[in-house]
Amino acid sequence: MAWVLIIATGVVFGLGAVLLVKAGNPGNYGFCAACHLRDIAGALGIHQVATLQYVRPEILGFVLGAFALAKTGGEFRPRGGSKPLVRFVLGALMVIGALVFLGCPLRGILRLAGGDLNGITGLAGFAFGVASGTVFLKGGFNLGRAHAYSGGTGRWAGYLAAAAALVLLVGVATHAAWLKFSAQGPGAQHAPMFFSLIAGLAAGGLAWRTRMCLSGGIRDFLLVRDTYLLKIYVVIFAAAVAGNLAFGTFKLGFAGQPLAHTAHLWNFLGLYLTGLAAVLAGGCPLRQLIMSGEGSTDAMFTVLGMLAGAGISHGLNAAASGAGVPVGGQIAVVAGIVVTAAIGLAFRETIAVAREA
Amino acid sequence: MTDKAADFWVITFPSVHHALRAEKVLAAAGIATTLIPIPRELGGSCEGLAARLAEGDVAAAAAVLTAAGVPMVKQGVRIKGKSIWR
Repeated sequence: MAWVLIIATGVVFGLGAVLLVKAGNPGNYGFCAACHLRDIAGALGIHQVATLQYVRPEILGFVLGAFALAKTGGEFRPRGGSKPLVRFVLGALMVIGALVFLGCPLRGILRLAGGDLNGITGLAGFAFGVASGTVFLKGGFNLGRAHAYSGGTGRWAGYLAAAAALVLLVGVATHAAWLKFSAQGPGAQHAPMFFSLIAGLAAGGLAWRTRMCLSGGIRDFLLVRDTYLLKIYVVIFAAAVAGNLAFGTFKLGFAGQPLAHTAHLWNFLGLYLTGLAAVLAGGCPLRQLIMSGEGSTDAMFTVLGMLAGAGISHGLNAAASGAGVPVGGQIAVVAGIVVTAAIGLAFRETIAVAREA
Repeated sequence: MTDKAADFWVITFPSVHHALRAEKVLAAAGIATTLIPIPRELGGSCEGLAARLAEGDVAAAAAVLTAAGVPMVKQGVRIKGKSIWR
């Protein structure tokens, strides 16, 4: 059963991403929990970059797929109350780092599978960020337990993320006036809506079932040598490489890659920040979307922080582009690492070790 | 070698830090344990670690951890081995 799910998840994400590009998404942009959310932020007017505005149905599918399976499986659990404001900040920092690299760790793998070698430096930074985060975990970092909402208004709060995704889905399907749609640029490049939605639903359901998370996978390997989550990403990589080779979209090299730059230091540090913040927040950007769908209001606050992070990034000219990383982005990444480390130090819980009589 | 098909018992903790501390305390007390990611049967969250134990060791482990001041969330939850796919 384990291998069936691992392979199915890897194929849906890896091959699905390639097919989404073939169907209209920009290059190596089939799935990306950070950049796609940034496009949604643009559609909602959180940032004003006219070329990055589209409610990506893939993201809505992640949330709704997780919600549907959790609900039908009796595992929908409204819960929250574990320092939501800190999680909001960590979510913003995750995306600020990701928008300097130009992708979440999932897109890092998809970029590498398309031959973009900048993925190596980015993913190395992500792994080092996660490793740094585990040092804080070992040192007692803890945002406190989430509490189950078994009744009252709290219970309904668990539905908010899925409800918001549904409203956005209606908006994008009807081309609603309250949403912005890019007329050109990456925001105007997308697969047909229903294809994106179905891909997102399938991927979201499987991501929920497997608890897929790259920061969690690296963390579990470093702490207890558990490789389960990492195996999913190996299959994603293999499936995406196979798909890119089959469709002729594999292009090996550093330069001239789609939606990418070659500033190696900032590729490394950008995803370093994302990895560090992800460990402290309890999951990478994709995982936060999935958990918000299954009822975690803490994850929902993290996702709201991710949307805010996209707005901050583009509002302060801190997001990278194919031309490179602006000074604002360099400052934001360094400041973000400092702030994240400060959070890691500030929320430590020590154990009062009983002394022998 | 661990029999993956066999049922096992776990103790869970408020944080990774507590789980790592528990591992040391239990090792010092001579109780065999392995830290594992929290089984999905215990909740959707994947943020923590659990101590995997044999059934006969659960009560002793809980007592040792209580004496050492290591807080626990769930003590001795049975996980069905055959239902575990990870």
